[in-house]
Amino acid sequence: MVGGAIRLERVEKTYGGAGGVQAIAPLSVEMRAGEAVSIVGPSGCGKSTLMRLIAGLDAPTRGTISIGSTPVDGPVPDIGIVFQRDLLLEWRSVMGNVMLPAEIKRLAGLEVRAGELLKELDVAGFAGAYPWQLSGGMRQRVAIARALLTKPALLFLDEPFSALDALTRDQMNVLLQRLQTTQHVTTLLITHSIAEAIFCADRVLVMSGRPGAILDDIRVPFDRPRRLAVRETPDFTAIGRRIREHFEKAGVLVG
Amino acid sequence: MKAKNFLVGMMWPLLSGAFGLALWEGLVKGFGVPVFLLPAPTDVAETIVAKWSYLLSQLAITVMAAGLGLIMSVALGLVAGAAIAGSRLVDRLLTPWLVVAHAIPKVVIAPLFLVWFGFGLQSEMFFVVAFTFFPVIVNTVTGLKSADPEQLLMVRAMGASRLQVLHKIQFPNALPSICAGIKLAVSLAPVGAVIGEFVASNAGLGHLLIRAVGDTDTSLAFAAVTVFSIFGVLLWRAAEWVERLVLPWHPSQRETLMLRDATT
Repeated sequence: MVGGAIRLERVEKTYGGAGGVQAIAPLSVEMRAGEAVSIVGPSGCGKSTLMRLIAGLDAPTRGTISIGSTPVDGPVPDIGIVFQRDLLLEWRSVMGNVMLPAEIKRLAGLEVRAGELLKELDVAGFAGAYPWQLSGGMRQRVAIARALLTKPALLFLDEPFSALDALTRDQMNVLLQRLQTTQHVTTLLITHSIAEAIFCADRVLVMSGRPGAILDDIRVPFDRPRRLAVRETPDFTAIGRRIREHFEKAGVLVG
Repeated sequence: MKAKNFLVGMMWPLLSGAFGLALWEGLVKGFGVPVFLLPAPTDVAETIVAKWSYLLSQLAITVMAAGLGLIMSVALGLVAGAAIAGSRLVDRLLTPWLVVAHAIPKVVIAPLFLVWFGFGLQSEMFFVVAFTFFPVIVNTVTGLKSADPEQLLMVRAMGASRLQVLHKIQFPNALPSICAGIKLAVSLAPVGAVIGEFVASNAGLGHLLIRAVGDTDTSLAFAAVTVFSIFGVLLWRAAEWVERLVLPWHPSQRETLMLRDATT
């Protein structure tokens, strides 16, 4: 277990050597263990690059990243990732897909936890089904169960709900913030949706267009568990407005 | 209900087959075509019944050559395919040779096999390999290379070793493609075996066919062709059955039940 706070110190990423494309401008941020953080920003702002850097799948051009007291210098085993596409393996049953990280990390005895996660995500009845037999929302729930199986220190969600319909997406937002409470997992959610970013997080980081830099760092004060109705409160809309104004100023949104 | 649908589905092909055979029988008998030129279906059937055990013993030899050659071909194809897909260097070194080897007309090199491997089963077997290895290799390479890049990234993030990536993602992902290659090989293997027997054997259906034609025993030649065709169809069916067992999840094998319609 790596665990602990996640620290980025003056992290910078440029593709294609000197004079190449700068994806991320020098960026420093710290996430406490157990915190739920959302990153919201326009397309191409380097959110996914940031994810690859934190997961150790890519090295920063400059700066350092650490999880707890361990510097990140290769793939971080203690991280669960949920991608925009569910990436379920079509040849495995739902249970087989959830158990994949345990097989790869050679961890025994996680079947019970897999069953519990499927139950918590309301797909326990489909443990033996193949992915093609599930709807989009159900598939993404299985992907979340897979990411959480080995109790990772960090759950990384890269636009996980953007391919779902609006109703399913709302439902998944409720589910995610419930999981954040029950699983005590540090969560980093990358999203384009301002409402989703606020609803699912204790803190929203607003990113600028390329090269990605942090424009604002907003605390979200609402108690948990949250209900969807919280989105209609004045405090919620005020935060939404504050984020929107950043994008309007940057010319990403025309209000 | 299912049985009834099956019968209705089979009715037209059966009728069409029966009509074709009746027409053939009628024309041969009506015009008095001599049996050495073109035997009627009833003549062929009579020969099959009369020489049943002989035909089967010759078929067994052909099956043996086709089967052994096919096993070698699949083993070779999988190993070489994995090597090509796994290494750019191997790809660059081996692929030109494969393309050239495939471009050589197989029938032309059959006599050479006789020189290299001698008369009999060995020659036949290698001839089957020459006939069938290409689709297995090509489909293995294509399958292994077509894994979803994001899935590969995902298991890498989980800390998978190269062998685990091959075992957990690339190989299962390649299975439909590998099955397609093997099915092609299965349909080519008996043809390879028979051509091998034309040239390099004194037994088997291919040899029997050549001899029957030489003796103007056309009924026996037709009987051999019929037995050979039935064997080919059965082999294909067997390959399809194995494919269904191996790939129950694949779109080509899915049954109609969609759970999602019944739930959410």
